[in-house]
Amino acid sequence: MTAAIPAPSTPVLVPPRTRKGRTVVRWLSSTDHKVIGHLYLITAFAFFLVGGLLALLIRAELASPGLEIVQNKQQYNQLFTMHGLIMLLLFATPTFAGFANEIMPLQIGAPDVAFPRLNMLSYWLFVFGGLVAAASFLTAQGAAAFGWYMYAPLTNNMYSPGLGADLGIFGLALAGFGTILGAVNFITTIVTMRAPGMTMFRMPVFTWNVLITSVLILMAFPPLAAALLALGADRKLGAQVFDPANGGAILWQHLFWFFGHPEVYILALPFFGIVTEILPVFSRKPIFGYKGLVFATIAIAGLSVTVWAHHMYTTGQVALPFFAFMTMLIAVPTGVKFFNWIGTMWRGSLTFETPMLWTLGFLTTFLFGGLTGVLLSSPALDFQLSDSYFVVAHFHYVLFGTIVFAMFAGFYFWWPKFTGRMLDERLGKVHFWLTFVGFHTTFLIQHWLGAQGFPRRYADYLPQDGFTLYNRISSVGALILALSMLPFLWNVYRTWRSAPPVTEDDPWGHGCSLEWATASPPPRHNFTSLPRIRSERPAFDLHHPEAAATGAVAPSADLLGRALDGRPERDA
Amino acid sequence: MKVETLLFSAGALFFAPIGVIYGFVTSWHEPVGTAALLLTAGLSLLIGLYLGFTSRHIDPRPEDDPEAEIHEGTGEQGHFSPYSWWPLVAGAASGVVFAGLAVGWWLFLIGVGFSGLALVGWTFEYYRGPHAH
Repeated sequence: MTAAIPAPSTPVLVPPRTRKGRTVVRWLSSTDHKVIGHLYLITAFAFFLVGGLLALLIRAELASPGLEIVQNKQQYNQLFTMHGLIMLLLFATPTFAGFANEIMPLQIGAPDVAFPRLNMLSYWLFVFGGLVAAASFLTAQGAAAFGWYMYAPLTNNMYSPGLGADLGIFGLALAGFGTILGAVNFITTIVTMRAPGMTMFRMPVFTWNVLITSVLILMAFPPLAAALLALGADRKLGAQVFDPANGGAILWQHLFWFFGHPEVYILALPFFGIVTEILPVFSRKPIFGYKGLVFATIAIAGLSVTVWAHHMYTTGQVALPFFAFMTMLIAVPTGVKFFNWIGTMWRGSLTFETPMLWTLGFLTTFLFGGLTGVLLSSPALDFQLSDSYFVVAHFHYVLFGTIVFAMFAGFYFWWPKFTGRMLDERLGKVHFWLTFVGFHTTFLIQHWLGAQGFPRRYADYLPQDGFTLYNRISSVGALILALSMLPFLWNVYRTWRSAPPVTEDDPWGHGCSLEWATASPPPRHNFTSLPRIRSERPAFDLHHPEAAATGAVAPSADLLGRALDGRPERDA
Repeated sequence: MKVETLLFSAGALFFAPIGVIYGFVTSWHEPVGTAALLLTAGLSLLIGLYLGFTSRHIDPRPEDDPEAEIHEGTGEQGHFSPYSWWPLVAGAASGVVFAGLAVGWWLFLIGVGFSGLALVGWTFEYYRGPHAH
């Protein structure tokens, strides 16, 4: 008789049923830096789409003379004000926090950030601050309409009455506190939670840039918070801080730009870090001049605090030689960075996957923005071009070049680390070329528009001004730019539904830093084991031990002496 | 922690002279920039001194040792909250406080009440329940 004897069953770990509601609960109460990073990036991207929609309305209005889209010029003022505020403070700054959360703890071999609950609080302060600011669109008088740098006395109760402006001011102050708390968290994490052997000068350049950016946030955001709260006191309590009778107009400009200029670098430096992570992987070479890059970052950060008044040349009340000199100095460390990026690619074995394409898009676009920045740092030229479309073009080349190009580079590069799946390469290339063409069509022409004298922030112009053709070209470019987001969104959806999971730790094959030495996506506290850290690219050393065994020749201490004596380089 | 200490102290070494130079260039007629730069120097110095002080009072850390092995980092890693609802409560309460500043004092006071609740809940979260310690 052959009665089936039940095989001794091994206890199987049944994964708990995952329902959509459970995911929502898990995410809303999470203290995991990776989930918080997802939340930051998703929310910031949503704000990016909203800000982009406002920009499309602006470009549609300017496509031809006459008021055709907006009903009055006040609405146009609201459009460009909220476009600026949303893009800078609710898209770009949180995107930095998102990438820093996702990647930085992995790169230093930490299980999480130093203060997980504070991390989540920073995110919620950003969300609720953003919602309070965005709610101003729903008020009777509409949103804030005084330009994103909120010059006094335009912001006082007489010129900007109404709840919308108040909501904007206090909402941004709240979001700013979230940013400050996030920066404190990142600094503490980097100083205290590195893995053994991960000395400061072995940290990946992205982590270095997160550290420097966080320090800049500590210097720049408190003045903004103080200025915004003082402005709120002026409006709600009748204080006289920014009353022009007491010099309040120039006081606001100083305080705002003491925040505003470092803010540009707060937005740029982390994205420099992202491209510095990508270049060596697709050049198959180590970073050229690692320490040079780090010191260049520190120099840029230091100088960026001392150049705020180059936004105020035309007030006639600032020390022009001082600020022109300091501003031009920034070109030096930035040039060092470019030198190192090109040196990293030089004679490398380059391949052009989507992250690399976006990185090259960043290099070309940002180079252009940097060069027009050097032009504008000269007061003689700035007096001519200030408040024209030339400045708008410069600003978008700098910020779109760094933030958007490098953000997408980071998305395509780290998507397997975020989600465990690779984004589609073909759609990614379509996305890149549409964005690249759309961006340059929109903004290159604006340099000429500005040089011809078209001022910014004007809702309208006359047909006989001769600005119609260039404005129309720019608007067509903006449309292409908007359409370029569709392949990306489709790519994200398709990857989510049908891409095969990534099985390796390092799907790109030449990853350098520690995030490529753990699973994709990483487990709850990031690492099941850490490799030994002996260089600034521990994951590469782990996966490619042959490189250390064959390729690299240790530098000889006696090389110069032997060359001078005419001895052969290699003694037997 | 030498590099960290130097990094922050270097900020003081840069911003203090720059603040003085800026003062001279503007003949001390522009107080905002001078004050801001000198305060920035003070901020850097504060953090630099703290890090330097701390590094003298702790054992050498394996993350500062280029020859360290991973196992040298074993031991207590600190307390990591597994999940928490209090950040959401605290964030929402702060949102009400700031919206209240714009809308009216009645909303502000409601927000302050909820913030107090959030603060107490946050502080005492790990005094009770399954994760108490």
